[in-house]
Amino acid sequence: MAAARWLLFKALGAVFVLWAVTTLIFFGIRMIPGDPAEAILGGPGSQASAEALAQVRADYGLDEPLLVQYFMQLGRLLQGDLGDSYSMQVPVSSLLAEQLPPTLVLAFLALVLAWVVALALASWSMLSGRGAAVISSGLEIAGAAVPHFWLATVLIVVFSVNLGWLPPVNTGGVDGLVLPVVTLALPLAGFLGQVMRESMLNAATSPFALSARFRGETERGVLFRHSLRHAAIPGIALSGWAFGSLISGAVVVETIFARPGLGRTLLRAVTDRDIPLVTGVALVAALAYVVVMALSDIAERLADPRVAKR
Amino acid sequence: MPILPRSLSARFSTAVAAAAATALLASGCSPAEPETSQSPVSGGHLVYATGDAEPTCLDPHVGGNYPQALVSTQYLEPLVSLNKEGEIIPWLATDWKESKDGLSWTITVRDDVHFTDGVKLNAKAVQANIEHLKDPATGSSTGYLALEKVTGTEIVDEDTIRINLSEPDSALLESLSQPWLAIQSPKALKRSKEKNCQSPVGTGPFKVADWDKQNSITLVRNEDYNSPPADAAHQGPAYLEKITWRFIPDSASRYAALQSGEVDVIDNVQPDTINAARDNESIEHLNAPRPGASNRIELNSGKPPFNDPLVREAFVHSANVNAAISSLFFDTAERSYSPLSSVEELGYSAPDLFTYNPEKANKLLDKAGWDQRDEQGYRVKNGKRLSLKFPVSTNQSIPAEISLFEQIQATAKKVGFDVNLELMDLSSWYGALAANEYNLVSAPYTKVGPDVLRILYHSDGIKPAPSGYFANLSQLDDPKLDKLLTEAGRETDPKRRAELYEKAQKIILNGYYILPLYDQQNHFLHRSNVEGFRALPTVSTPTFYDTWLSQ
Repeated sequence: MAAARWLLFKALGAVFVLWAVTTLIFFGIRMIPGDPAEAILGGPGSQASAEALAQVRADYGLDEPLLVQYFMQLGRLLQGDLGDSYSMQVPVSSLLAEQLPPTLVLAFLALVLAWVVALALASWSMLSGRGAAVISSGLEIAGAAVPHFWLATVLIVVFSVNLGWLPPVNTGGVDGLVLPVVTLALPLAGFLGQVMRESMLNAATSPFALSARFRGETERGVLFRHSLRHAAIPGIALSGWAFGSLISGAVVVETIFARPGLGRTLLRAVTDRDIPLVTGVALVAALAYVVVMALSDIAERLADPRVAKR
Repeated sequence: MPILPRSLSARFSTAVAAAAATALLASGCSPAEPETSQSPVSGGHLVYATGDAEPTCLDPHVGGNYPQALVSTQYLEPLVSLNKEGEIIPWLATDWKESKDGLSWTITVRDDVHFTDGVKLNAKAVQANIEHLKDPATGSSTGYLALEKVTGTEIVDEDTIRINLSEPDSALLESLSQPWLAIQSPKALKRSKEKNCQSPVGTGPFKVADWDKQNSITLVRNEDYNSPPADAAHQGPAYLEKITWRFIPDSASRYAALQSGEVDVIDNVQPDTINAARDNESIEHLNAPRPGASNRIELNSGKPPFNDPLVREAFVHSANVNAAISSLFFDTAERSYSPLSSVEELGYSAPDLFTYNPEKANKLLDKAGWDQRDEQGYRVKNGKRLSLKFPVSTNQSIPAEISLFEQIQATAKKVGFDVNLELMDLSSWYGALAANEYNLVSAPYTKVGPDVLRILYHSDGIKPAPSGYFANLSQLDDPKLDKLLTEAGRETDPKRRAELYEKAQKIILNGYYILPLYDQQNHFLHRSNVEGFRALPTVSTPTFYDTWLSQ
C-alpha cells in the first residue's frame, strides 16, 4: 500500500515536472530575440520574402495569439505529438529516436566508469593509509574542478595528436567512445569519490565496524563486507543527479568529439530557435531524469531499508 | 594500384616523399606545389570535415546559405560557371544570348545530360527550377533574391529557354552561376519538401546516398556523370568513389582529426591553425577567399554620431588595423582597401584613404565639435559621450576577428572614441541590427559579381525586409550612388559597366562609410595525398570532381 502510494506520488511529480518544462521552454524561448518563422526559412537574418514568411506563419500556426499557440502545443503533446522540427523539417519524435540512444550509451558508460574510479580511489585511500588518502583526495578535488571542454582538449592533444592511440572524433566504433566517456566520467568520479570516502570513513569508525573488528574481521573484510555498502548509499542517491549532469555535459562533449546525440541537438535547436525540437529534447531529458531518479530511489531502498521508512 | 603490402607501400611512399623534399630543398624551390609523377587513380574514399553548421535541408533552393552551398556543389550543378579570370563559362548551359532590349535572355542547355534519377535535362527542367525558386512555398531567400528581376520563362524548343525580365540585368549570368540556383530533377522537385531536403537529385559528379543527422552525409560517385564545367581538369566520372561529409563543429577537434588522418580535408581553418600547419609536411593549405563583399566594418551613417562625415573619417584614422591583422592573423589574411573581395575583377582599392593617423583623427574630432574630454579620456559634446555600439556576432566573427575588433577599440580609445563591443548570438545580433541599435557592425555578404554593391549600398537596402533584415547596414543614402548602381546593374557593355562600378566604389570609400578589413576568409587544409583539389571560382566552394588520392 505504502509502495503504491509512493509510486502514485512519483508519477504525479513526473507529470508536473514535464508540464513545467514545457511551459518554461515555450515562454522562455520567446523571450530571446529571433523569429520562429525565420528559423523555418533558413535561420536568422534570412531574406525570406513576405509571401514566404506569411505562408510559413499560417502553416505552423504562428499567426495565432501566444496563449492559443501554447494550448495548441499542450494539446498536441497530450496526444503524444511532438510536432515537426522547424529547422530540420522532420518529426521531432524521429529525430529524438535517432539522437537519444548515443547519448544514453555515453551517459551510462560514463556513470559506470565514474563509479569504478570513485570506488577504487576511496577503497585505496581506506586501505593504504594517510598518504593514499591525501593523494586520492587531491585527485578527486582536481577531477571535480576541471571543466569538460578543457579536459576534452587535453585528452585529444595527449592521446590522439601526440600518442596517436585513440581517434579525436567519433568513428562509430568503440575506440571513438573512450575519450568522450573519460571526459564525462572524471569530473563525476571526483564528486562521487569525495562523498564515498567520507561515508567510508564514517563507517570505518562506526560501532558496527568496531564490533566486526572485535569479531576478528580484517581491515579488508571490514571495508568490503561493511563499509562499502554504507558508502554506496550516498553514491546511489547522487547518481540520479549525476545522470542529469551527464546529459548537460553531453552538450559540450558531443560538440567537441563530433558525436551525434541529444546534447548537440539541443545546442543547435536553441541557436535555431527551433521551439518544437527544444521542447522535445527537454522533455526527453526531463523524463530520463525522472526515471533515473526513481531508479536511484529504489536502489537506495534496496541498499538501505531504513530509507523506505523515512 | 601497385600490389604491395600496405605497410611496405606506406614506407616506400614516405621514402619517396623524403627524397623529394630533400631534392626540393637542395634546389631551393618552395615545396608549395609538390610534383607528382603519378597520374590520377580512380577509386578511394575521402573524408571531408566541415566546421560550418549542418544544413537543415540539402536542397539549396530552400533558404540558401553557405553550408548548403558547400555540400551541394558535390551533387548539384548550375547552368554556368566562372573561370579564374571571372568570365562566364559553360556548364549545363552551352549558349546564352541577351535580347537587344535587355529584357530577355535565351539560354540553351546540353542535350546529353541526365539527372541521377534518369530524367533528361532540358528547357522544361530549367523552367521547373526557376518556378521552384520563385514559389513562396519553397522558402527560398538567396535564389529568390537573385531572380528578383525575372518575370517568367518561355520554352523555345526542347533545349532552349527564354527568361523574361522586368528590367535589364547585367548580373543574371553571375546569379545563375551560384550553387543556390543549381538545377535539380523536375521529377524530384515534385516530391514533398521533406523528401527533397533529404535527398535532392541533380546532375553532379556525386549523389546523396545517406544523411546521418548530426554526424555525416554519404556521397557516392555518379557513374554516368558527363557534365563537368568547362574549366574541369578531366572528363567522365569523378575519381573518388565515395565522400563522407562530416560535421565537426569544434575547430581544435577538426584539426586533430586531420593530423591523425581520420579526415582528409577540413574547412573553416583558423589563423593559428594555419600557422601551426605550416610546419607539418603531410598537410597542405588552400586559400580561397569568397567573392562578393570584402569583410568590412560598416559605419552607420543613418544616426549620430556617424551622420557627420568628419566623425566617420576620424574613426577610420583612429583604427590601427594593419598592425592588428598581422599579429592576430599570422599573415594569413591580406588587408583590403575595397568594398569588394579581391577575387572580384571590378574591385577598386583606395589604400591612401585608410591610414592609421591618430593626429588627424584628433583634429577631425575637434573640428566636428567633439573637443571636450571627460575624466576617462573619452570625447564629449553637449554633455554626451562619444559612444559607439558595436554588436558582434560570435557565429560570424572568428576569435581572431573579435580580437581585431578589441584592438580597434583600444586604438580608437586613444583619440576619445568609446567603442562598446557587444558579443551576441546570431539571432540577437540580427535583432540589434533590425532595431537600429548599432553604430558599427561587420556583416559578411557572399555573392558572385559586383552587383553585391547594389544590395549593400543602394538606399533601397535601408528599407527592412519583412523579417526586419536590411542589407544596407551603413545606411548609405545617396541618390547619385543609387543611380550609378542601378545603371551598372543594367549595363551589359563590360567597359562601361566597369566604369560605373568604379565610380560607385569611389563614393562608398571617399565617404568613409566603411572600414575595409580583408577578404572573407575561406581556408582549407588537406592531407598532402589529396591531389587535384580546388575551390570553384564562383562562391569558392570546394569541388572534388578532379580530386584523387595518391599513395
